[in-house]
Amino acid sequence: MATPNITMDPITRIEGQLAVECVAENGVIVDAWSVSKLFRGIEVVLKGRAPEDAFYVTQRMCGVCPTSHGHASSKAVEAIDPSFRLPNGARIVRNILEGAEWLHSHIFHFYALAALDYVNPAKALQADIANTIALAKEKGIAIDDYAAVQARVLKLVQGGDLSIFTNGWWGIDPVANPEEADELYNPDMPAELHLIGVAQYLKGLEMQAVAAQIIAIIGGKFPMPMTSVAGGTAWMPRADKLDDCLFRLKEVADFIKRQMIPYTFAIAPYYVSALSYGQGVGNFLSWGCFDRSSMTPENRYLPAGFIKSAVGLNVVNRPDPKMVTEDVGRSWYKNSSNLMPFDGATEPVTNFEYDLGGKYSWGKAPKYAGDPMEAGPLARILVAYMDTDSPTNSLIRGVVDNAVATLGIELTDLVSTLGRVAARNLEAAVAAELAFEWVDELVVELRKGRADFWTSYSARSGEGVATWEAPRGALAHYIKTAGGRIENYQIVTPSTWILSPRNDDGAPGPMEAALIGTPVANIERPIEAARVIRSFDP
Amino acid sequence: MGSEMTFYENLSQRGVSRRDFLKFCGSTAAVLGLSSTFVPTLASKIAGAAESGLTPAIWATGGKCTGCLESTLQATYPNVADIVLDLLTLNYSAASMATGKYAGEAKKGVYEGDRPFIMIYEGAIMTGLGGNTLVNADKTTSLDDLEHVMHSPNLKAIIAMGQCAVDGGWTRAFPNPAGGMGIKYYLEQEGLDHVPVVNLPGCPASPEELTAVVVQALLLGSDGTLETGIQAVAADLDRLNRPKYLYNATIHDSCPRRGHFENGEFVHRYGSDAEKKNWCVYPMGCKGPQTYRRCPMMRWNDAQSWCVESGGICIGCATWNWVDNNAPFKGRHRRVGANNILPGVWKGGINPIGTAAALTGVVAAALVAHGFGMKAAGRCGKNATLKTEEMKEYDRKRLKKQGGA
Repeated sequence: MATPNITMDPITRIEGQLAVECVAENGVIVDAWSVSKLFRGIEVVLKGRAPEDAFYVTQRMCGVCPTSHGHASSKAVEAIDPSFRLPNGARIVRNILEGAEWLHSHIFHFYALAALDYVNPAKALQADIANTIALAKEKGIAIDDYAAVQARVLKLVQGGDLSIFTNGWWGIDPVANPEEADELYNPDMPAELHLIGVAQYLKGLEMQAVAAQIIAIIGGKFPMPMTSVAGGTAWMPRADKLDDCLFRLKEVADFIKRQMIPYTFAIAPYYVSALSYGQGVGNFLSWGCFDRSSMTPENRYLPAGFIKSAVGLNVVNRPDPKMVTEDVGRSWYKNSSNLMPFDGATEPVTNFEYDLGGKYSWGKAPKYAGDPMEAGPLARILVAYMDTDSPTNSLIRGVVDNAVATLGIELTDLVSTLGRVAARNLEAAVAAELAFEWVDELVVELRKGRADFWTSYSARSGEGVATWEAPRGALAHYIKTAGGRIENYQIVTPSTWILSPRNDDGAPGPMEAALIGTPVANIERPIEAARVIRSFDP
Repeated sequence: MGSEMTFYENLSQRGVSRRDFLKFCGSTAAVLGLSSTFVPTLASKIAGAAESGLTPAIWATGGKCTGCLESTLQATYPNVADIVLDLLTLNYSAASMATGKYAGEAKKGVYEGDRPFIMIYEGAIMTGLGGNTLVNADKTTSLDDLEHVMHSPNLKAIIAMGQCAVDGGWTRAFPNPAGGMGIKYYLEQEGLDHVPVVNLPGCPASPEELTAVVVQALLLGSDGTLETGIQAVAADLDRLNRPKYLYNATIHDSCPRRGHFENGEFVHRYGSDAEKKNWCVYPMGCKGPQTYRRCPMMRWNDAQSWCVESGGICIGCATWNWVDNNAPFKGRHRRVGANNILPGVWKGGINPIGTAAALTGVVAAALVAHGFGMKAAGRCGKNATLKTEEMKEYDRKRLKKQGGA
C-alpha cells in the first residue's frame, strides 16, 4: 500500500466528522480512504427503551435531516403492527414536512457547502454591475441588488476580515494574488457570474431558513421537529397555519426556479471537466420517498428502486430491505461481518488502531445484494427517470430532459461530480412542485371534513423496517421489540452508504470509488477531490 | 469592520434597517427578561462594541450532529444576528471553511495570535476508547485538540452550545460506550478548568439564547469588550452553570396551554378534538413542568412555533441527562435512569447511582402525585372533560341570552 500524499482532515463545509486520505500519482488519484471519525453509539442507547421513544432519540443522529430520521423511526414502529394504516391526513402532513426539509437541505448544501468550490467571492469584485444585470437577464436569473452585494464583499476584503470566506482559497491570499487564487476555479468564468453566485449565496442563507420555518410551523421547531410521532402526526392543520406554510413555500419555490436552477445551468459550462470524473460505483439505491395513499414504496412520489451497473442504467428493480448486509472488516467494530440489520450489532473494538491497511473508519460498509450502492438525489432521479410505471415519471422526465438539453449533455453524463450537484438542484425544483400538490391535497381533505391524523397501533412485540429517504439519500430503520421494549435497533443512513469504507470483499465505497481516477492539478490544493467529496453531500 | 463607518451605516449596507435592528434588540430584551426601556441601552451597547473592534471566536466541535450550528443558522434576523455573531468574528468554523490543513492553520492563527478569543463548543467531549471515538487522521484525538486550545493564554471563556456540550447529551446515555461528557466536567476532571464555561443547554440550543448571552456580555463588560463581559456573565451562573436569567422559569410557567391544565382540560390522544382545541398535553408525557427554558416566550425559527404549540410534547431536552432521566417520553410513567449522575459528582469514576436515582424518584413521585391529585379533584379524566365542556356551553348560552358576545 502506497503512503497517502493527500490528507484532508477535517473535511469542512459538510455536516459530520470526516477525513479523506488519497494517493495521487502523476496528477491522478489512484487510491482513496474515507474515514468516518466519530462513533456515537445511538443504536446502543436505544436498546431497552420504549419503541416510540426512538422517534425523539434517532432525530438526534443528524441535525440537518432530523425530520427524515423521525419519519423513518415512526414508520418502523408502525410497521411492527401489520394492521396499522397511516391516516390519510397524517400521510399528507408528513409529506409536506419532509418536503420542506429537502428544500431546506438542498438549498443549504448547494450554497453554504458546495458553491464555494465553484464560485470565487474575491473575483466578484471585478464584476461590472451593468454587465452583471445583462448577464442575469440573458441567463433567466432574477435580478438582485448586485451593487450592494459587491460593496459588502469589498468591505470584507478592505477590512482584512473575510469572515466566513477566510482561508477559502486553500492558503492563497486572494487579494495579493488574485490570479493564482482564480486558478482554483475556471479563470474563463466571468467575474459577473461570480458576483451573481455571491449574491445567491447570501440569499440562499436566507432561503434555507424560510424553508425551515415551514418545518417549525408544523413540527414546532427546526432542527428536531416534534410532531410526526408513531401513529400519525400530533399537528392539527389550521387554515391560517397552512397559509403561513404556503406563503413560505412560494417564496422558496420562486428562489429555486428563478435563481438556483438557471444559475446551475449558467456555471455548468465552465466546469464540464467535472462531468468526466467522480463517477463512483455505478450502482444506485433509492428506497423511495413521499407516500401516496396506496402506501407502497414503489408507488411513492419518488419511487423505490435500484440500478446496478452490471445490469444497465435503464433497468430498475424493486429493492428489499432484507437484502442489505453490513460488513465491518475495515471498520472499528469487533462484531461479525455480513449481518442483516435486523440481526446487526454495534460493538466497538477494544484495541483501537488507525490503520488504512486494516480498520480505518467508524462507518460500516453496507451492501445491497453484495454490492456497495450510491444513495442520494442522483440515485433517486435516475430511478424515477427509468421507472416508467411511476406516476411521477413524466414530471421527472420533463425536468431532467430539459436540463440535459439545456446543458447539451447525455443522460449518462449525470453520473459524475457535476451531474450529482445538478441532480440535487433539479430534485429541489421537483420537491417544491410536489409540495404545492400536497398542500392542495390537504386542503381538499380538510374541506371534506374527513381528515384523520392519528390512530393507535401495537408495537409491543415483533419486528418492523422502514425504508425512507433523507435529503442526502437512502435511509432505513430496523427495529425489533419484545415486551414493549426495543430489543435491537439498527439504522443504515445515507452516510453509511456513501462514505462506506472498503467492504470485506475489498471493494471501495461509493465516495472512495469516485475519488479514484479524479485528476488533481496540485496535491497541495486538491480542490477537484473536494468537489467530488462535496458532490455527495457527505 | 472599519471604524470609519458607523454601526448603522454598516447595518444598512447589510440590508438591515435601523428599525429591524431595534426590533431585534426588543426581542433579545424579551429573552433576557429585560423591560422594553432597556432597548435603547442595548442598541447603543451593541453599536459601541461593534465600532470598537471584534473579539475573535472559534466554533469548535466534538461529538455532534451539527444541529446546534443548524439551529444558529435559523436566527431570527439573519443579518442582524450575523452582526452580533460577527462581534465574535468567527475565525474558525469547520462548517464554513477551507479544508484540511488550511482549516487547521486558521485555527492555529487564532490560538497563537495576540488577541483574546472565546470558544463556542458544539458537541460532546468523546472520551470513549481513550478518545478514539472521535479520531483524527494524524492519529491524535479530539481530546488532544481540546488540550491544545486550552493551553492558549488568549482563551478567555467557553460557551458550551447545546446539551451535548453541557452534559454529553445522548452520547452519554446508558449504556453508550462512546463516553460523551460535558466540556465543563471534562475540563474539571483533567484540571484544565482555568477559564469560565457558560452552559447553554437544550437539544438543540437556540440562536436567541446564544445572542442573549452575547448581548448580556456586552451589557456587563467593564471595558466594553466581549471577553470581560462573558467573564461577568460567567460570574453569575446557576448550579448547572447556566446564565440565571435565561433558565429561571419552567416551560409550564409560561405555557399558553397552562389555562387548560388548570381547568383540567387534557389531551389524551393525538389527533383528537381536545388537541384541536389546544388543550394541555401533560398526560401525553409533557415534561414542561420540570424543564427550565424559555421556549413558550422565545419560540423557534423566527418565532413561528414551538414544540407544544404545534401539538407535540416537551421532552425536557434542556434537562440534565435528558435521554435517561426523561424516558420514556410518552405518558407520565417514569422509569428511573441507571446512568443518572448529577454534575460535579462524576469524578474519578464514582457513580452514585443510588443518590441520583433517589433524587429522580422524588421528582417522579411528586409529579405522579400531582397527576393523581388532579384526577382525584375531578379536574382530569374523561368525565371531567365533558363536564367542563357542558359548563362552557351553558356559559355561552347564558351570555348570548344576556346580549353579550
